[in-house]
Amino acid sequence: LETTLSPQAEVFEALQQLHMTVFSQSVSPCGKFLAAGNNYGQIAIFSLSAALSSEAKEESKKPMVTFHAHDGPVYSMVSTDRHLLSAGDGEVKGWLWAEILKKGCKELWRRQPPYRTSLEVPEINALLLIPKENSLILAGGDCQLHSMDLETGTFTRALRGHTDYIHCLALRERSPEVLSGGEDGAVRLWDLRTAKEVQTIEVYKHEECSRPHNGRWIGCLATDSDWMVCGGGPALTLWHLRSSTPTTVFPIRAPQKHVTFYQDLILSAGQGCYVNHWQLSGELKAQVPGSSPGLLSLSLNQQPAAPECKVLTAAGNSCRVDVFTNLGYRAFSLSF
Amino acid sequence: TMSSESSKKRKPKVIRSDGAPAEGKRSRSDTEQEGKYYSEEAEVDLRDPGRDYELYKYTCQELQRLMAEIQDLKSRGGKDVAFEIEERRIQSCVHFMTLKKLNRLAHIRLKKGRDQTHEAKQKVDAYHLQLQNLLYEVMHLQKEITKCLEFKSKHEEIDLVTLEEFYTEAPPNISKAEITMGDPHQQTLARLDWELEQRKRLAEKYRECLSNKEKILKEIEVKKEYLSSLQPRLNSIMQASLPVQEYLFMPFDQAHKQYETARHLPPPLYVLFVQATAYGQACDKTLSVAIEGSVDEAKALFKPPEDSQDDESDSDAEEEQTTKRRRPTLGVQLDDKRKEMLKRHPLSVLLDLKCKDSSVLHLTFYYLMNLNIMTVKAKVTTTMELITPISAGDLLSPDSVLSCLYPGDHGKKTPNPANQYQFDKVGILSLRDYVLELGHPYLWVQKLGGLHFPKEQPQHTVMADHSQSASHMETTMKLLKTRVQSRLALHKQFASLEHGIVPVTSDCQCLFPAKVVSHLVKWVMIPHEDYMDLLFTKDIVEAGLAGDTNLYYLALIERGTAKLQAAVVLNPGYSSIPPIFRLCLNWKGEKTNSNDDNIRAMESEVNVCYKELCGPRPSYQLLTNQLQRLCVLLDVYLETESHDDSVEGPKEFPQEKMCLRLFRGPSRMKPFKYNHPQGFFSHR
Repeated sequence: LETTLSPQAEVFEALQQLHMTVFSQSVSPCGKFLAAGNNYGQIAIFSLSAALSSEAKEESKKPMVTFHAHDGPVYSMVSTDRHLLSAGDGEVKGWLWAEILKKGCKELWRRQPPYRTSLEVPEINALLLIPKENSLILAGGDCQLHSMDLETGTFTRALRGHTDYIHCLALRERSPEVLSGGEDGAVRLWDLRTAKEVQTIEVYKHEECSRPHNGRWIGCLATDSDWMVCGGGPALTLWHLRSSTPTTVFPIRAPQKHVTFYQDLILSAGQGCYVNHWQLSGELKAQVPGSSPGLLSLSLNQQPAAPECKVLTAAGNSCRVDVFTNLGYRAFSLSF
Repeated sequence: TMSSESSKKRKPKVIRSDGAPAEGKRSRSDTEQEGKYYSEEAEVDLRDPGRDYELYKYTCQELQRLMAEIQDLKSRGGKDVAFEIEERRIQSCVHFMTLKKLNRLAHIRLKKGRDQTHEAKQKVDAYHLQLQNLLYEVMHLQKEITKCLEFKSKHEEIDLVTLEEFYTEAPPNISKAEITMGDPHQQTLARLDWELEQRKRLAEKYRECLSNKEKILKEIEVKKEYLSSLQPRLNSIMQASLPVQEYLFMPFDQAHKQYETARHLPPPLYVLFVQATAYGQACDKTLSVAIEGSVDEAKALFKPPEDSQDDESDSDAEEEQTTKRRRPTLGVQLDDKRKEMLKRHPLSVLLDLKCKDSSVLHLTFYYLMNLNIMTVKAKVTTTMELITPISAGDLLSPDSVLSCLYPGDHGKKTPNPANQYQFDKVGILSLRDYVLELGHPYLWVQKLGGLHFPKEQPQHTVMADHSQSASHMETTMKLLKTRVQSRLALHKQFASLEHGIVPVTSDCQCLFPAKVVSHLVKWVMIPHEDYMDLLFTKDIVEAGLAGDTNLYYLALIERGTAKLQAAVVLNPGYSSIPPIFRLCLNWKGEKTNSNDDNIRAMESEVNVCYKELCGPRPSYQLLTNQLQRLCVLLDVYLETESHDDSVEGPKEFPQEKMCLRLFRGPSRMKPFKYNHPQGFFSHR
């Protein structure tokens, strides 16, 4: 009758694991660690190098450390060359990667953008680093893009234009321009120097990709300077930016929540357990099953310092993060 | 010839290396002694073998020459030849005689040589023999010496005290330090002396102790007799005091009678009786403890073996006489053996726990003698008769009401590992088949009886451990009461649920908005297998949360065309362990947590955030509050569904709920959180 955890605590922990959602991931600058953020506001740091080594045991697939980072879900995370930035419940916090593995790690700083609303604190759904300016773009529940200088922590500008909350951001390096996709069904391009909206694509208005029964929301965005791929309620579509025309509609019914360019492929994931590999022509090259019933985030570890940890990790509606060493199949899963 | 004979005689000869002159004298002395022999042997010593050899060669040459001349002459022929031949013949004869002599001499020399060799050899042999004899003696002596050296006297086997002790302890007349220090032989003798002395003293002591012991044993006998004569006197005093007891309302006798009966209880039941009575007196005055059963039968269990042996021999005799009587069949024999193995002690202990609402939990504890385990049967009675709703069948049934009182304690297997071997002999598979009749062997029951079967040392069963029983008594009693109360609460709630009403107490009204449109239309119990077969419960089963000790239910909540199925896992440890829900919504398609993030969020709202729904302690309202919350969540889900522009006509469910925002976050969550007292919905 003696157990390490009381039976209530055991059941509660099991229920928490069952109802966990991992929203965000970020690879450390050295490439050896992966941070994952969940709906309970926790961040777990996994050691990729330990989990991928030949002596990996079951414990290697558990986090090295898990700490409580935010009061609400951690919707988005990015890494600079020294810091981990996490955001969710209206605040963005900075953590030092070098300190993060120590117990009782505290955030270096925390900042809250100047919100318009006061009733409810809006969430931050997306973070985008602008390396040339050393600034961070935040976007989310208050329908604005805020830009924060990473040196001083001051909020330099707020871009208004979306009529409903913002889901995702992407950076068009050449110009430089920022793309944002939102619940209002529009993808908007913003010029950072002039702080103005320069182009708007209302995806749902295009017949070839609109799917009214799913809604008009844009859940994911990726850009390759001339090209942009976006998905969500409408079908996953490849756009030619200059002419604002949809060139390829990818034939998948399930709404996609994350999309990214990789070499000559487009990888997408969303409702359903698959990571989809697309040719630019619209053909489905591969559909690799993961272990979660729905995926919300994909992360490619391309850090030059750790080529042995070059993996694709996928996370979503479960407590697991799937690791694909070879894009073709799921090698194993890390777990909270 | 005579000279050759004499040469064959073995005469001891002194070998001399003198020259020739002795020859004549010796030969004369020889001849004087033995009558004028010519001794060639003597001559041999004097001649030089080399010169003899030359003579021999010369003689042979001459002979050859002479022969050749004769041959010549013979071949020439003539008169004077014969004379020449004759001369030569005579010369040849002389030479032949020389040769003969030489031959003899050679023989004699040979013989002499041989004799000398032989003599020498004899001498050598003699010496050799002497040497052997001496060596043999040496060896023999050496062996004897080693034997002597190895000799161990018996005295060395005795363990003597150490030298220091000896000198310190032994009296000087034995230790005789002056003599013994110098002489090891004397020392050893002295030590042996001391040893003998000590042994004598100890033997004396031993005899003294033995006699002491005898004395003391006799004293004990005397005292025992005294005490046993005391008992009847005390009894008579007790009897005499009865009327006084009654007069003063002190029913010690009644308690005494019960203790009398208790004396016949088997040890585990006795421990339970004593501990339960103590607990009742100290902490819970409403607890009643009684003993049921036949004391006579209990006494009969301990009949002395001689009687039964007589019976056996009688019955054997009977059998021999009536061999026609059929022996019972194998099956019946086995059945009898099983019955014998599962036999209960004739006495049992009754505990009645009264709860706050006057419901009573009746527990009857039995002891299975051959298996050395205890079992319990339970029954719940209420002041008013209960009409059992269909779905509440298992809540209070004797078989399951006490299941998993402590987690994992399902009472279907015997807790005594030794029983398995006993079962194998009589073909019992598991105690599970007999629990209805015998009662459940829960682990807490064993603990209350002071029985302990340690896993690491199965042969060391602990019996009659009062401290174990005492340490578990209070917790177990409290758990039992909580269990009965929560089951009765659920019982009442189920009656209401079956009528489609989710009963929400007034102190929980604040958890929900005033208007709730979705309503419960069905509440049924489902068997475990059916729960496992459902498609949307797979992750609960995989997480190990759906074992066969739980109870399973299916609820159906409806609003308009929308039907929400909820599969419920009710853990016996309710309400400290929350019920777990899995949902399946049928409205514009089938939605479960695998294809709709909001259904997943709704499950989270009742499963993970259950603590908000517990209500005031002891939280028996948890299940009904969860169900009510599901109705509210369904309302929110349906009313906040975004309008499909492609479809004609108005929304089926117009939004009536006050929400700040409809969707939030990457998963586009609906506002499921109800805020009291403002009454609006927001996101967590």
